[in-house]
Amino acid sequence: MEGLAGYVIRRLLFLPLTLLIVSFATFYITRWGPGDPVSVYSGQYRDEEAFDRVRHKYGLDKPIIQQYGIYMERLLLHGDLGVSFRYRDREIPEVIGPKIWVSVRLGLYAFIITFAVGIPVGVFAAIKQGTWLDPLLISVFLFFQSVPSLVTVPMLVLLFAVKLDWLPAGGVDGIFSKSMVIPTLALSLPGIAGVARLARATTLGTLHEDFVRTARAKGLAERDVIGRHVARNSLVPVMTTVIGLSLVGLIEGAFFTETLLGIPGIGRFVFESVNGRDYNVILAIVLLITTAFVLANLVVDLALIVIDPRVRAQRMLSR
Amino acid sequence: MSMAATTAGFEAPSAGAARGESLTRRAMRRLLRKKVAVLCLVVIAVFYAAGALAPWVAPYGYAEQNLDVSFQGPSWDHPFGTDRNGRDMLSRSMFAARTTVVVTLATVATGGILLPLTLGMLAGYKGGWADSIIMRAGEVLASMPGLPMLILISATMRPKFVGWVEDAEGWIGWGGLTGSGFADYFLIFFVLSLFGWVGGARLIRTQVLTLRGSEYVLAAEAAGASTAGILFRHLLPNIMPLVIVGASASLGAIAGTEIALTFLGVGIQPPQPSFGALITDGASRTVLENHPQLLLVPASIVASLIFAFNLLGDALNDVFTPRAQ
Amino acid sequence: MSNKLLLGVGGVAAVLALALAGILLVVASGGDDGDKSADGGGKTPSASQTEDGGDDTPAGESELRIRGADPLFLDPAVAQDADSAFYIVEIFSGLVRLDTDLKVQPDLAERWDVSTDGTVYTFYLDHDATFQDGRPVLASDIKYSMERALNPETGSIVAENFLGDIVGARDVARGRADEVSGIKVIADDKVEITIDAPKQYFLFKLTYPTGFVVDEKQITANPRRWTLKPNGTGPYKLKEWKLNERIVLEAFERHHLGAPKLQTVRVELAGGSALVAYEDGDIDATGVGLDDLARVQSPDDPLNKEYRKVEKLSLSYVGFNTNAPPFDDPKVRQAFALSVDRKKIAEVILKDAVPVATGILVPGVPGYNADDKTYAYDPDRAKQLLAESKYADNLPEITLAESGAGASVGPTTEAIVQYWKDNLGVEVKIQQAETGTFYSDIDEGRYQMFELGWIMDYPDPENILDVLFHSKSRQNNARYNNPEVDAKLEQARTETDTEKRLALYREVEKTLIDDVAWMPLYFDTTHALVKPYVKDYPIPAAVVERFRDVAIDR
Repeated sequence: MEGLAGYVIRRLLFLPLTLLIVSFATFYITRWGPGDPVSVYSGQYRDEEAFDRVRHKYGLDKPIIQQYGIYMERLLLHGDLGVSFRYRDREIPEVIGPKIWVSVRLGLYAFIITFAVGIPVGVFAAIKQGTWLDPLLISVFLFFQSVPSLVTVPMLVLLFAVKLDWLPAGGVDGIFSKSMVIPTLALSLPGIAGVARLARATTLGTLHEDFVRTARAKGLAERDVIGRHVARNSLVPVMTTVIGLSLVGLIEGAFFTETLLGIPGIGRFVFESVNGRDYNVILAIVLLITTAFVLANLVVDLALIVIDPRVRAQRMLSR
Repeated sequence: MSMAATTAGFEAPSAGAARGESLTRRAMRRLLRKKVAVLCLVVIAVFYAAGALAPWVAPYGYAEQNLDVSFQGPSWDHPFGTDRNGRDMLSRSMFAARTTVVVTLATVATGGILLPLTLGMLAGYKGGWADSIIMRAGEVLASMPGLPMLILISATMRPKFVGWVEDAEGWIGWGGLTGSGFADYFLIFFVLSLFGWVGGARLIRTQVLTLRGSEYVLAAEAAGASTAGILFRHLLPNIMPLVIVGASASLGAIAGTEIALTFLGVGIQPPQPSFGALITDGASRTVLENHPQLLLVPASIVASLIFAFNLLGDALNDVFTPRAQ
Repeated sequence: MSNKLLLGVGGVAAVLALALAGILLVVASGGDDGDKSADGGGKTPSASQTEDGGDDTPAGESELRIRGADPLFLDPAVAQDADSAFYIVEIFSGLVRLDTDLKVQPDLAERWDVSTDGTVYTFYLDHDATFQDGRPVLASDIKYSMERALNPETGSIVAENFLGDIVGARDVARGRADEVSGIKVIADDKVEITIDAPKQYFLFKLTYPTGFVVDEKQITANPRRWTLKPNGTGPYKLKEWKLNERIVLEAFERHHLGAPKLQTVRVELAGGSALVAYEDGDIDATGVGLDDLARVQSPDDPLNKEYRKVEKLSLSYVGFNTNAPPFDDPKVRQAFALSVDRKKIAEVILKDAVPVATGILVPGVPGYNADDKTYAYDPDRAKQLLAESKYADNLPEITLAESGAGASVGPTTEAIVQYWKDNLGVEVKIQQAETGTFYSDIDEGRYQMFELGWIMDYPDPENILDVLFHSKSRQNNARYNNPEVDAKLEQARTETDTEKRLALYREVEKTLIDDVAWMPLYFDTTHALVKPYVKDYPIPAAVVERFRDVAIDR
């Protein structure tokens, strides 16, 4: 395991480099395309001379490379993420903070549900291997994993809000309101399926391990075998791996769920910011998500390395 | 949802498999013995046929409206009913399928097969700086948040891109490209490919790394075979199963992403129909309340297509990796 | 050993997850209580009398609760989006204001004189007028505020548009001067503004937030973030602004025009369906979207009694680029206009939510009359016109641009395009332009035609006819160029006889319609629901101060 620490350090060192490349790419792509925040905000008031004066005020008339240099200097020396061009008098953390909080809350709920439902179902399916329940459960969950949230969300609205009239069809009223149910469901369904399938596979693997056989041979009750030995040995890796994977899934699912349901979260906000060409806000969000991605992937990798020596060898070799 | 699925779809078959050709053929035979897999193939085939043949077999044009039959339920004339503008939903679904067909095939050819195969083999076999560059680039791309980047690139590049295609049209004197939505398709699969190749390339590279040390490759090298010869004659057949599994898995993800991008307004532009647009139309409140079939039709088509792709991917994975599960 | 580590990590994670699940459960059960009213939604609106959980302040006599949009920022000199303006007009004020019937009324200036040649305005400030911190408003504040708005450092795009008529204003806007020569402080309570020509609409321009008064002391002390707690002169103070959550406006009791009747206006910026919230009694008034319109318009629905509709000061249209083939031929434009059955589209697709536009001047603007001056649906004549045009046999490819993001174009756009296909046999492509580039592409004349709307800033024909059709105007997106129209527009700018002036505008409107510079589509309409206990709730046609006289009387 000597190489493990070195590997982690190397990966972590790679993060700033990744962020640098990503920030430059994002910076360039946003500013390279046609349209800028000044022109977009002014809507039908077309006055190129006035636009140029405002562009000058915000330094948007400088070459992109120079703008990037100024931006990085401020970011690195002062921790300043720049101004939001749309919410002109607000700091960027102020603008995206509440949006992130909305999304994180939703994601957290979805996350908990994902594991609370996925793991028991997966273990259950594994125990029932060979009966009709196993394939049924697995295909039901594979189905949910397949269906894009773009389809799931309107279907849930149709079912729970329109036909049954149990739940509101959009928005979030508060942290603990019924309006959280549909987005949480939509976000967790694909994850549940993933966790369940993984939990099933791992449990199946463990069921045939020596120590389980020994436990059985010792005459332990089946429930204890499953609960104490199988669950502990199979679920831990599942947890760690899926935490990373579902983070990625959650972030992407959030775009559709939030857009469809009119939830003022970060997913919908990215879209608004791109349309409003709010350069610095886009950049801040992209960097934030990238960091989360890299860390999540690192967690997944570490989990895999620890679990599976073959992966360990491969990863060490390849990087 | 999209990118994660693309990578998750790949599962390396046990390394050092025997001769590829026969393995592939044997696997196919085994696949056809699976009822579920055959059903999936049928669903996918029907979808692709409907899409490909839409201009000839669809009963109406996709934009053909009749305001007198706005919002009609299913009938003999309109088996899936009509939408707000009185357009036939069956025809619109078929033309939307056509969009999916074009985008998935084009993307899988580039981002799903060509790019990962070339880059993966190059990185694995050549090693050294080629390996470093390709893998580092892949790593950076993989750590970018896929969807926000897709939205960003599509939004900022589209106008320039359409401009280029228009210029190219004028230049080669071949009009109608931008009009037919070609530019949109092209941009979408370009962007999808850009982010889609990484997972596949990594697996192929790993596979090549393992194979490179194998006796018959060493033997071929000793016999003085050219790099290309080794790559294509000796390595490619052994990687094919991996490519097939990967491509089929990514087809579902690509279809999903295209629909999603269109839904966000950065994909296929109207009036070209797409499932993203159909679902958006169907998801508005009045429509849901009074004409739920307008959501149910595109939603179930999309759901069953992607479900079929994933089931098939699982089945393929099983037949290519005959480890007892 | 590493497996142990992993076990430990997993164990911690599991405990954490369980704890969170526990919290969620507790919370979810608690949430049920708070949301009791949601169950009865739609069926028992009266159930709304039960207390809202948690909130101590009773929805009392003097609080109005509505839904609203998040403003971007509250600097009157710079803001120009309707969402921000909605709050700015309550918090700030200027020399004059528009009342809810869009008539000019005194505000900080209690009266004013206009010189006989119509170019010098002398404003007499209201002696009771103060900032919300109690400091009296002086003539120097007026001068400072307008000069600040024009100063390039402030970064306003619209300042020149609204204040540019003042002598010397453009010099300041272009950084050539620091002071506007046309604004003179005569005394503490008297300011004189000289404009470059007698323009009847000048007072209207002063009602726009750009010229509103701001507090110099506050801005110098806190140049970046003063708008988060602005010291305005309007009838409401900004009490609370939680981004994405709520804005609370509180009455400024010592306002020079009298204390507002409403103590607070509570604007919720987030939440689920506004109609559901309205039915549950959580908000007192709401707009109604197209989706719910049929329901509230039906006389059987209990909500119908609370339903109101008001025409807005705006319209939608298809604009033709009169420079670009094939729309440089008026016959083609006519053919396109005559071949669309706008009434049918309004009826089937828009469920008659909006009236078909009868002209370019919208209801509420002087010079408007209800006669239909536009195009009756006549496909045969349209075909004939197209055949007579110079593009009869060689029509180029045509694209209609529409702004917007989202997969689906407006169903009306698709319907219009299909009418052209059915009646003229012309296949028009729709290009859904990304908002980031739509307007600049129009500027550059990149579109042959486009679907768009125009929201007027003040009810004067100048604000639509001159701004959009004078050949020298930057907003002339149809690139319409007609010397005769230009001459009439210029004459109307300075015509002091109101009747003559309106007659000129009517002539211009007729020419424009006959020439089909635009194909007007629909006049915009606000559909709203207002609770019966909310008295004197105005639904103005434009963004103007509106809450001062509202009263809650249960």
